[in-house]
Amino acid sequence: MSHGSIIKVPFGPQHPALKEPENFLFEVDGEIVVDVKPRLGYNHRGIEKAFELRTYIQNIYLAERICGICSDAHTTCYTQAIEELLNVELPPRARYIRVIIAELERIHSHALWVGIAAHEIGFDTLFMYVWRDRETVLDLFEMISGNRIHYAMNTIGGVRRDIHAAMVPKIIKGLDFLEERLKYYLRIVQTEQTILKRTVGVGILKPKDAVNLCAVGPTLRASGIKNDVRSDDPYAAYDEIPFNVITHSGCDILSRTLVRCEEMLESIKIIRYALDSMPEGIIRVQVPKKVPQGEVVSRVEAPRGELIHYAKSNGTTKPERYKVRSPTLANIPALCKMLLGGYVADIPIVLAGIDPCFACMDRMAFVDIKQNKKWVWTMQQLRRKYAKE
Amino acid sequence: MGLDYAAVKKEVRKRMTSETIVSLIRILVFPGAMFLFALAFFYEWVDRKFFARLQNRYGPLHTGPHGILQPLADFLKLLSKEDITPHASDRLVFALAPVFYLALPLTTLFVIPVLDPTSFIAFEGDLVFVLFAFTLIIITVFLAGWSSINRFGTIGSMRAVLQMLGYEIPMGLVAFGPAIAANSLSISRIVGWQSLNFWLILLQPLGFAIFTVCLLAELQFVPFDIPEAETEIVAGWRTEFSGRKLALLRLGKDLELVLASALIASLYLGGPQQFWLIPPIVAFLVKTTFAVMLLSLLRAVFARFRIDQMLSGLWKYLLPLATLQIILIQAGLGG
Amino acid sequence: MALIKEALKQLFQKPATLKYPYEKLTVPKDFRGRPIWDMKKCIGCGLCSNVCPSGAIEMIGKGLEAEINHYVDRCMFCGQCAEICPENAIRMSEEYELADFDRSKMLHEYKKDS
Repeated sequence: MSHGSIIKVPFGPQHPALKEPENFLFEVDGEIVVDVKPRLGYNHRGIEKAFELRTYIQNIYLAERICGICSDAHTTCYTQAIEELLNVELPPRARYIRVIIAELERIHSHALWVGIAAHEIGFDTLFMYVWRDRETVLDLFEMISGNRIHYAMNTIGGVRRDIHAAMVPKIIKGLDFLEERLKYYLRIVQTEQTILKRTVGVGILKPKDAVNLCAVGPTLRASGIKNDVRSDDPYAAYDEIPFNVITHSGCDILSRTLVRCEEMLESIKIIRYALDSMPEGIIRVQVPKKVPQGEVVSRVEAPRGELIHYAKSNGTTKPERYKVRSPTLANIPALCKMLLGGYVADIPIVLAGIDPCFACMDRMAFVDIKQNKKWVWTMQQLRRKYAKE
Repeated sequence: MGLDYAAVKKEVRKRMTSETIVSLIRILVFPGAMFLFALAFFYEWVDRKFFARLQNRYGPLHTGPHGILQPLADFLKLLSKEDITPHASDRLVFALAPVFYLALPLTTLFVIPVLDPTSFIAFEGDLVFVLFAFTLIIITVFLAGWSSINRFGTIGSMRAVLQMLGYEIPMGLVAFGPAIAANSLSISRIVGWQSLNFWLILLQPLGFAIFTVCLLAELQFVPFDIPEAETEIVAGWRTEFSGRKLALLRLGKDLELVLASALIASLYLGGPQQFWLIPPIVAFLVKTTFAVMLLSLLRAVFARFRIDQMLSGLWKYLLPLATLQIILIQAGLGG
Repeated sequence: MALIKEALKQLFQKPATLKYPYEKLTVPKDFRGRPIWDMKKCIGCGLCSNVCPSGAIEMIGKGLEAEINHYVDRCMFCGQCAEICPENAIRMSEEYELADFDRSKMLHEYKKDS
């Protein structure tokens, strides 16, 4: 279908396939993608600067709002970092509650992804069904934490709300329902011919490329590489809970779908185990307002992959510097590799394949390639610059 | 010769007027344009409602009883919206394409029997005319996308034409199945033949299946909504159309749905047929509604194909199957 | 075609959609809706306004005479104010339909005598 001329097709910042603003410029020869240039930063919100202006307590809620879907992963990462600076030991029950919330969040995030992926390949009916059943998790969240999306469960030194004995049967019931539905969807994904046609062999990321381009999370695991912060560097109560790291070696969209579907089932097992073996006791400890001087890096396996937070404190009530490295950013180079040589029709599903969350990703840093210089603007510099204009 | 020329002239004129009025009413009101427009809106509602129920949703709900007036409300709203013509577009073609897109299925519907087993305009070979009109619709689609000078529009219109290359030949082949059975290329005669013999869906189930798949492609329904794939190329060939033009395109699409379901009903389900006391028009409506529901059910349970997969699939499987159907009929089965 | 059975089954089920303005779900017991101040308990310590991450709480005056302005349009319902209040004067209510076209209507004023 090549007709010799190359058309430049912009994807975004406004495009139905992208739920968030981000720009990808594709060079298309007929229906084949020959080049892709990502342009990031449309969703930059100055969150890292905002971290420096707020106290540690306020920052919990700011961290939660980095992303609407993996809000718990960000707060876990944040509180973990600050707890390490404060040298606070978490109460055992709080660690288990953190695991339960994190795994519930993984189910709801992956279910959301399955729905979106179905929508990207034009399968709206599956999208509607998956999202309908995903409501079960959101209702559980509303019951446990009082809100559907921003749970606000984590706080420095523990969790804010307990999971009462009365809630446990409801959670178990919800999980049973979900398990049955998820197994059904897993079967659908493996048997429906039109889905297989669109996912098998699409968006190939070879294991070698995946490692070299620093892919993370389900994207990496779908290339057959066993890598999961939960098992490699256990946090919360993951060292006490047995679970499998799901990998598939198909390297394509189908493998990414299967990894996510099976991870949801694995999460259900983890939650059941955690609910069973949750120790009694307090759920939080009191912590001082001021955080001693120091630097810390904290890692969490968010639903999208490895999430890294960095904090530097100067002994006051506010952090001196805060940095977020979200999994989507780590997956962008791998994404560009996947898209090359593919079809235009496959762009949406490949883009969706890494489960992009651009709101998480967009940060501000300035790079001058000519002078090989990198810097970050301070608030004063920004004020000065824009006062002039 | 004591012929009173004036009286004859008067008589002729009188008859002419009443006949003209009757045919005008038949063209414009019933079962012509107005009826077909109403039917188009009704079938859009049936499609949306049924599709929604398949997905465990309500669908249109608040405009009129069970939201039955929602398609009309959407149409009127679009009419009142701003109509934007892109600066770089080919203005004449861009303005005319929606009109053609609406007029083509409307005109074609006149050869399909609605009220009684004989259609309003019936001639030997009107089946070929319908197939030709389907091709013309796709050419209009191509012109619409091409004239808008938009990247997505261009890709969409190219995909539409490529898609046509895939499904047109199998569709043409199987559509001649009923014609061979009834020994006529006229849709009215095919309907008449079925009322004397069997419904052709019983005799040619394979042909019916192939024809339905091809109509899905013609209507650009999932899994063949490739030319307007929302997540890939925004709205495809319709991207740049807005306001009145978009309203016409939507109505044209609905009429295409009426045409497709009417074709299924007349070629395979016996068309408007008198059952005992039930008038033919009711039989026609029931059968076409069934056809619309069948099309919506099919579009609910598939993912979208890629254009290359769709083309190779149609050429590899559908074309041989269509040929097989014709061979079967020639061998005396299903005719 | 794997989904066709499931799809046909839906025809005999009630749609999952909630006809929202006409039908409403009840919220669970510990829902975090609009915070409500009990001014009889409030001692005007100012902790809630200090801790609020989004600056939705404004203190007017000091100590026992203090009045509180709560801007719902800025509030993000984290519940930190209710948690930190030493007198338990703040309660997270079950109100959630809080949007308005007029921002001034989204300001809730709490005076000492109320």
